[in-house]
Amino acid sequence: MFKYDRKLITTGLVAILISSVSAFGYEGKKDALDGGMTYPRVNGDYTAYKINENIDKVKINNGRTPTANELKAWDRDIMPDGTGLPDGEGSVEDGDELYESLCAVCHGDFGAGGVGYPTLTGGDISSLTNQRTVPGKDAPKRTIGTYWPQASTLIWYTRDAMPYAHPKSLTNNELYAITAYLLAANGIKVDGQEMDDEFVLSKENFLKIEMPNKDGFYPDIDGKDGIENVRKFFADGKNYGAVGKRCMSNCKDPGMEDVEATVMGIDYELTDVKPPYNNTRNLPKVKKTNSHPGKEGYDKNCAVCHATDTMGAPRLGDSEAWAKITKQGLQKTMIHTIEGIGGMPPKGGNKDLTEWQIQLILDYMISNSK
Amino acid sequence: MTKISKTSTPETEQSSRRDFFRKTAAYSISAIAATTVLSPAKLLADDENIIHHTPWGTTLGDELNKNPYGLPSPYEHNVVRRTASLLSSAGDMHAAISLSPLAEMDGIITPNGLFFTRTHNGVAHIDPNKHRLMIHGMIDKPIVLTMDDIKKYPRESVIHFLECPSNGAAEWKAPQFNSLQFVKGMMSCTEWTGVRLKTILADLGVKPEAKWMLAEGGDGSEMSRTVPVEKVMDDAMIVYAMNGEALRAEQGYPIRLLLPGWEANLCVKWLKRLEFGDEPWYCKEETSKYTTLMPSGKAIQHFYPLEVNSIITSPCPEKPWTELKKGDIVEIEGLAWSGKGTVKLVDISFDGGKNWVEANLKGLVLPKAWTRFSYIYKYDGKPLLLQSRAMDDADDVQPTVNQEKAIIGVEGVYHRNAICTWEVKENGEVNNVQVRS
Repeated sequence: MFKYDRKLITTGLVAILISSVSAFGYEGKKDALDGGMTYPRVNGDYTAYKINENIDKVKINNGRTPTANELKAWDRDIMPDGTGLPDGEGSVEDGDELYESLCAVCHGDFGAGGVGYPTLTGGDISSLTNQRTVPGKDAPKRTIGTYWPQASTLIWYTRDAMPYAHPKSLTNNELYAITAYLLAANGIKVDGQEMDDEFVLSKENFLKIEMPNKDGFYPDIDGKDGIENVRKFFADGKNYGAVGKRCMSNCKDPGMEDVEATVMGIDYELTDVKPPYNNTRNLPKVKKTNSHPGKEGYDKNCAVCHATDTMGAPRLGDSEAWAKITKQGLQKTMIHTIEGIGGMPPKGGNKDLTEWQIQLILDYMISNSK
Repeated sequence: MTKISKTSTPETEQSSRRDFFRKTAAYSISAIAATTVLSPAKLLADDENIIHHTPWGTTLGDELNKNPYGLPSPYEHNVVRRTASLLSSAGDMHAAISLSPLAEMDGIITPNGLFFTRTHNGVAHIDPNKHRLMIHGMIDKPIVLTMDDIKKYPRESVIHFLECPSNGAAEWKAPQFNSLQFVKGMMSCTEWTGVRLKTILADLGVKPEAKWMLAEGGDGSEMSRTVPVEKVMDDAMIVYAMNGEALRAEQGYPIRLLLPGWEANLCVKWLKRLEFGDEPWYCKEETSKYTTLMPSGKAIQHFYPLEVNSIITSPCPEKPWTELKKGDIVEIEGLAWSGKGTVKLVDISFDGGKNWVEANLKGLVLPKAWTRFSYIYKYDGKPLLLQSRAMDDADDVQPTVNQEKAIIGVEGVYHRNAICTWEVKENGEVNNVQVRS
């Protein structure tokens, strides 16, 4: 037997009273993994919804078993323990060449960043503590070398989602080569050794890649305690800024009792809004809808670079840049488009384009850049 | 910079609410009387729109089914999603985000054409006849489902918001956008219909050691995320309809995963594969992105729920009080939401957070859904610093900018839910500002 604590009972009662006068008339439990609420499905109710509870009591046998080949075709994810790594190999040197022709167009030379596309290399892991409100501090550099915890993420994502406009077009050897180049460009070591040009990456040495920021993330989600670590993390709001308090009068931020809070207005307003702000109610202007037959091909294959001037691509509508190109004659322009020129891969990276499609696209681009 | 102390709480709001309403009633009667007596010019001028017949009243309208799929009135053509180069890569609009025009939206349901949209490799257009969902891994019975198979399961409909954890991310260091659409428009709320994942899994025998589920999309980026099985078994769904019709392509047609209250990017669109396993996958969008970098240099990963939040939608920069006269009675309205539960209450401050009064909740109050709040206010022409602060049934309260900054710093990018401030100027103009140090 133990003595009831009078205070505790009173507090408990108050808590119950508060929750039973909730504005919305249903109750939950604060026992979700994310520190939030779960709600019961009982007596035909789920919060404010009516439900058919029989749904929860049946087992429904729909669909069919996948074949071994179907599983092989789709179960291709690559995990940190090496599960799913494909056969094949590639060298840093080959990756350098592939990177220049397929990736630099967006990600810049040596992964140093294009105009706005993700920067893949450079920076220092120490920059991750930078706060730009501190004078003289730049933004933290979140690159493969300073930020990404796992190399498996890089090779998996590159295989499935890259190159940007033509995902899933790399061979396994190309994939290993580009991965090797990006790791080398980030100064990442494999089994304690720097990667030189001759270094060849494959399934055999992949797990020896040493990612510098491997331990830069929390809660620890690995192993048998992973889920419980997540639960513990969310149980304490101080871990993630859930520290608001309901104060009703003469409120001041804790720690700021002596500081006069100030009102910060917009110094530099971001106004590059598409379509531009407009709150009026009127009839729209009638637009011409005759679409050029080359527009669709342009949008799909070329706009990624030519809509802006990514990596020196002549921008659609830039009459000066295009005058220089058309001066060479249409035939030469066709040849350059088919064979590739400067940062542009052959046929803009889509080898399936026919010459007729390219002609239409070129005509669209030239006639819109006069 | 203006000192916050220059503005004070309006007198009417310091007294009790009952007292306030009593006064309001008296004021409004006298206000009407005053208008009648003092504005004879206004009474004399005839409104042309009343005196003359209108074009639409004197002609035959369109055939009723001119648009077999209905369209908004052409006069509403400016009510659209908007984006900006900053929210994309180099102005490229395949991996970008467009935001809902919250200032023009009513109630808690977002029309499908205005639902905010984020893609990582453009909007995929999937043929539903060729789409398959594979469920496999640490389960006894792996399956492949066609769309017809998926629609054979009993269906449920629920109203939930979806929010990008980047909502407001441009504003960690200072206010940047002077519009509600760009301050909070990376979210929408809809009635979703589909099947609970638990209903499908009941027959498949998920092994006890399966703690995680990989969800993979069928778009060009194969957008994928790792989800704890505990969430899957609580309230996860596979949805194929929003607001009574098929998902829009931008929202993952023909199916997407729905994890109520959690980051919208976890609710994988164009869903094609679910794999169960005992270790997390480390997808690109849960490592290089969607991780919150803290001042320590370490980052929070698997930061799932969108925390309690609110915003005043009227007034706002797009809906200022420039046409109000002193003494006008006006409704302050807004949206509150929490990914951890249900909105319990919302408070409003007129003086930048020094003093607060409780607002009224209005309409349906549902878990993990937008909830409207309302406050009746007598405009007195004085400058204000308007704020709203929500609390949910998990007893989480929105933090101030300073409270959140003290923990997260300013480089975290994601999960910003600090109290927002609208500055109402003497002329009724409304600007986005922050009360902070």
